[in-house]
Amino acid sequence: MKILIIEDETAIASSIKAYFKPNGVQCETATTTSEALSKIGLYDYDCILLDLMLPDGDGFDILKELKRTNKTEGVIIISAKENLETRLEGFNLGADDYLTKPFHLAELLVRIQALVRRKNFQGSNTVSFNEITVDVLAKTVSVKGARLDITKKEIDLLLFLIGNQNKVLSKAAIAEHLSGDMADMLDNHDFIYAHIKNLKKKLAQAGSGDYIQTVYGLGYKWQNE
Amino acid sequence: MNKKLLHKTTRNFLVLAAVILLISAPIFYFVSHFLYIYEADEVLVFHKEDFVAKASEQGFSTADIALWNQYNRSVEIIPDTGLKKDSLFSKDYFDATSQEYEPFRELWAPIVIDGQKYTYTEKNNLVVMEGMVIAVAVMFLMVIAFLMTGIIWFSKRSASRLWAPFYDTLKQIQDFELDKSHHPQFADTDIEEFTRLNKSLERLIEKNVAIFKSQREFVENAAHELQTPLALFQTKLDSLSQLQMTREQSELLASLEQDVSRLNRLNKNLLLLSKIDNETYFELEPIVVNEYLGKNLEFFTEQAASKGIRVAFDNTRPVTVKANPILFDVLVNNLFINAIRHNIENGAIHITLDDGALSFANTGIGTALDAERMFNRFAKINPSGKGNGLGLAIVRKIVEVNHWTIGYHFSGDRHIFTVRF
Repeated sequence: MKILIIEDETAIASSIKAYFKPNGVQCETATTTSEALSKIGLYDYDCILLDLMLPDGDGFDILKELKRTNKTEGVIIISAKENLETRLEGFNLGADDYLTKPFHLAELLVRIQALVRRKNFQGSNTVSFNEITVDVLAKTVSVKGARLDITKKEIDLLLFLIGNQNKVLSKAAIAEHLSGDMADMLDNHDFIYAHIKNLKKKLAQAGSGDYIQTVYGLGYKWQNE
Repeated sequence: MNKKLLHKTTRNFLVLAAVILLISAPIFYFVSHFLYIYEADEVLVFHKEDFVAKASEQGFSTADIALWNQYNRSVEIIPDTGLKKDSLFSKDYFDATSQEYEPFRELWAPIVIDGQKYTYTEKNNLVVMEGMVIAVAVMFLMVIAFLMTGIIWFSKRSASRLWAPFYDTLKQIQDFELDKSHHPQFADTDIEEFTRLNKSLERLIEKNVAIFKSQREFVENAAHELQTPLALFQTKLDSLSQLQMTREQSELLASLEQDVSRLNRLNKNLLLLSKIDNETYFELEPIVVNEYLGKNLEFFTEQAASKGIRVAFDNTRPVTVKANPILFDVLVNNLFINAIRHNIENGAIHITLDDGALSFANTGIGTALDAERMFNRFAKINPSGKGNGLGLAIVRKIVEVNHWTIGYHFSGDRHIFTVRF
């Protein structure tokens, strides 16, 4: 998978790049609109991450250009601007998702994966890991072909973990993924422990391997045994 | 007690007029009385001189004295009294006709007739004069009184017209609120002082509004600007988490995660507050309160359950209010999280909703809280608490922009927050 990061804060771009690489996502970066447009013209990307405030113009110009040239790349806006108008304008101009800074890299990664899955959708939208298969559309999970009795939240958690395999996921990142903005308000993120525990139990009962590791103090990690 | 400006000027004017009248009336009387006596004296002296001149010219002799005295009522020649010079004095005589004493002015003067010394006496009745003095005084007072009332009436009328721009300005200033977008528009006036007053006020307001605005924008801009370094911080923490670490390092990193979460929340709340201040959320929609309560009920019930708190919500018939959906969401969430955060282990939260009010009642510390302070920004009742002291400030702000009220009371063992729509 190849993505383009259009972001003038090079430190953010390089963090994203370094984080995504082990998970099979190649990143190219552009720091200005002109650089971005020339790269978009030359290569095809699976997904574009777009910061709205760029030194030589507005991120919306890139969206307009993509629309004009009938490019089908999925676009996720990553912006510090948090208001409805910007969000709506982004979506109207063809953006697929909107993530407000600051965000967790893990969140960004699963959003990209989800977007790419949707874009490449050919009759089925599934995520697999060894014996586990998640049907994203039907909201079902099966282990070795047998369906699991699992809640929506647990599927969400499972997708988040698999998508970020081999990554240490902080409790805050998981909480935010499960509860969105509501997670901000919480004094601690211990509630995710219950969800992890349930998911672990259900997977184990279905005969799946134990892929969820607890990382002391920090959070959890999905890893092949 | 405060009096109105117009009443005060008129009242002062009236007091002055009364004082002047009271003082001037006796002065006027005495002055006119003195002047009359002066005149009367002059007449007496003139008569005497006339008599002396005529007497010597026409050969008035001592023999004529008796006859003169017989036919003359006011002038009498009497034998010499040893007077050396003219003497003028006032004296009352009983008048047989009017049966009362009447005031007279009298002149006694030494004269010489046929070489013999006599005393010339003449008296002048002052009664007529007295009446006249009084009549003139009364007329004078009446004229003054008329003049006074006229002046007062006129000045009152013109003053109220004169001060009209001042009262207009006063009213506008009274209605002025710095955080509202409506600013005073002063009417033009042709009075220099009022124009100056209005100009100064306009300048003052303009300056304050500008400062207020830039301060508000500053908070919003600062919060916005903070988001980029926060994003950097967050992404770097995420990257750091991936490294092999000792237990100690993990612990430090975990606490850093918590700190950045807190920073993030604080920044978001500040941004939200300044956005409400800057009237970003003005679109109103009809909102079914029950739906908004139900929407995140599961999430909050889960959060509450981790502290053993039971949440009870009597979902009665739908209640609809008009509000901004984003803000209403924040309002409900903040009240909910507040009820959980300040609760006790195995406590309870009871949510009630009826037509005019939504209330959250929660168990907590056993005493009432300072209702005045708790809605202020950064007013943390429990300083060691995890909240950032903005939750209830945001609640109050949202309640204010919707023209609702928020109340707090402590009843039984429950802290009850009630929003009245």
